[in-house]
Amino acid sequence: MTTAVATATPRRLLPHLSRKAAGNAWHKRTLYLFLLPFAALTAIFGLWPIGQSIYLSFTESYTALSPQPVFVGLENFREILSNPDFLDSLWRTLLFTFVSVVLNVLVALVLAVMLSQPILERGRTLFKLAIFLPVITPDVAGFIVWKWMFNQDFGVVNAVLHGLGLPAFPGVTEPVSAFATLTIVELWHHVGLYTLIFLTNLQLLDRDLDEAARIDGATRWQRFRYVTLPQLRPAIIINSVYALIEFLKTFTVIVVITRGGPNFSTNFVSYFAYTKFGNAQYGEAMAMATVLFAAVAVLAAALVWAMSRGDYR
Amino acid sequence: MSGPARKKPSAASRLAIQVVAYAAAIAISIFFVYPFYWMIVNSFRTQEAVLSRPLALLPEQFDFAAYETIANIGGVSLTTYLTNSLLITAVATALGVSIMAMGAYALYRSPKLPLFGTVRNTFLVAIMYPNMLLVIPLYFVVYYLGLLQSQAGNYVGIVLSISIVPLVFILFLQFFRNIPSELLDAAVMDGATEWQIFRRIVLPLAKPVVLTACLIAVLLNWKQWFQILVISTSPDTYTLPVALLSLNTEYGVNFQATMALATLTCVPVIIVFILTQRRVMSGFLAGAVKG
Repeated sequence: MTTAVATATPRRLLPHLSRKAAGNAWHKRTLYLFLLPFAALTAIFGLWPIGQSIYLSFTESYTALSPQPVFVGLENFREILSNPDFLDSLWRTLLFTFVSVVLNVLVALVLAVMLSQPILERGRTLFKLAIFLPVITPDVAGFIVWKWMFNQDFGVVNAVLHGLGLPAFPGVTEPVSAFATLTIVELWHHVGLYTLIFLTNLQLLDRDLDEAARIDGATRWQRFRYVTLPQLRPAIIINSVYALIEFLKTFTVIVVITRGGPNFSTNFVSYFAYTKFGNAQYGEAMAMATVLFAAVAVLAAALVWAMSRGDYR
Repeated sequence: MSGPARKKPSAASRLAIQVVAYAAAIAISIFFVYPFYWMIVNSFRTQEAVLSRPLALLPEQFDFAAYETIANIGGVSLTTYLTNSLLITAVATALGVSIMAMGAYALYRSPKLPLFGTVRNTFLVAIMYPNMLLVIPLYFVVYYLGLLQSQAGNYVGIVLSISIVPLVFILFLQFFRNIPSELLDAAVMDGATEWQIFRRIVLPLAKPVVLTACLIAVLLNWKQWFQILVISTSPDTYTLPVALLSLNTEYGVNFQATMALATLTCVPVIIVFILTQRRVMSGFLAGAVKG
């Protein structure tokens, strides 16, 4: 009886298996067809420009587009790294990124904690909507409006300051205030997404832990510091990494509002590379792009490593 | 120790806290929304009126001069920019969402097939690369592809270069990960082909996520500007944001016209977002948090 079953089963399964095997090959072919358009677009509009960019960074600018580009090895990199203007630009980019990442993550955390309070239950949707609106509206338009709001003649910013009896804000006319202007406008544009991420994570928190700490007599601040904050760690890491990548690449706001000025104070690397490109200095422009990409990759990796290492309990 | 129950705050102090909290939340909301309000109001106000009262909450009288001024920008009619925006957004969304849905599905279905991992990693590196610096070499790519020679080529280059939206692709990856594979394996047992499974099982399940993906792709494609500026060989293929940028930099300083064009660029997005905010925000979260 048992032997009969043992021999019968494989025979019964065989046609099924072979059909499945045939199906597998066909199945794979279909899946390759499914992936092909995506792979092609990623290769053509993702990989190719990156390759092109790295390749051009090793060539002499004026030969970059000729049929036989002249390779100069690391000459372009040596050139930009010994150029004080580039080092200055790199330093300013890093400073802006650092300030913006810290500010955005902090502000987003405060906003999220505030909006998650039960007393703000009614109207929470509206507040979320308001904070998120700048994230999805065309950045060019939002930045142009801000440019005019900071304008010395038309602007509301100085009208309000004047009304409050405060000194005027020089906006984009002076280096330090131009830097501050970009920080504010970029915060306005990006912080909504980070806030939303924190808010969602806050709503997923373990209420029992908080309740237990409360019964044990922990103060409001202690509960936030030792119960809520550790639970938010993944969200803090995600937001910091997103913000880091975002702010290192800061570009559109400079094109619209400051054009790198005044006196090159907001000439961040991406904009600097763009102006080099405009002057047909392709080799140097692409070397700058490559340096910035390396910075993005290294800093993002370092941040993830540093933040997921220490256990701050 | 059976300490006394913590004192409940009195009704009056509760109310005070609530008032302060709402005041703060409203003030913060105004910071985010006010620029849009200021833009719309001032698009209807003359330059003189704005100069004398920059903070006015309502126009003294509706002045449509700016909208007449922008009927033609840099020798191109406003309707051309508007049509371009609508057309490019619609085609890039339809094409991109289809391509990304199928691509993400294939990666989910058989992540271990040869080259599949490479495609995934290439994509991840490409989205890490500073976008703005990718656009400059993109010019050469589009040139080599022969898409700079004609207006039709420009359109093709623009649509293809913006159609992959990383956030949307990650949204699809996320969604497919939650489909129980037993469901698909059962269909395979029943002899369904991969296309049938995708068409009859996966797509019906994916309807909500496809809708979210389309919405997000529309919103993000509408705001694209750099690729379009770089690929366009003439203003004839500019969209509204690109026209706005050229108004900002090239054609002199016209405050009111700038506000009018900014209003036309933003208002459609604001309306769509308000109508679909729940879906859009949850889509952003799904794409952003778990990616």
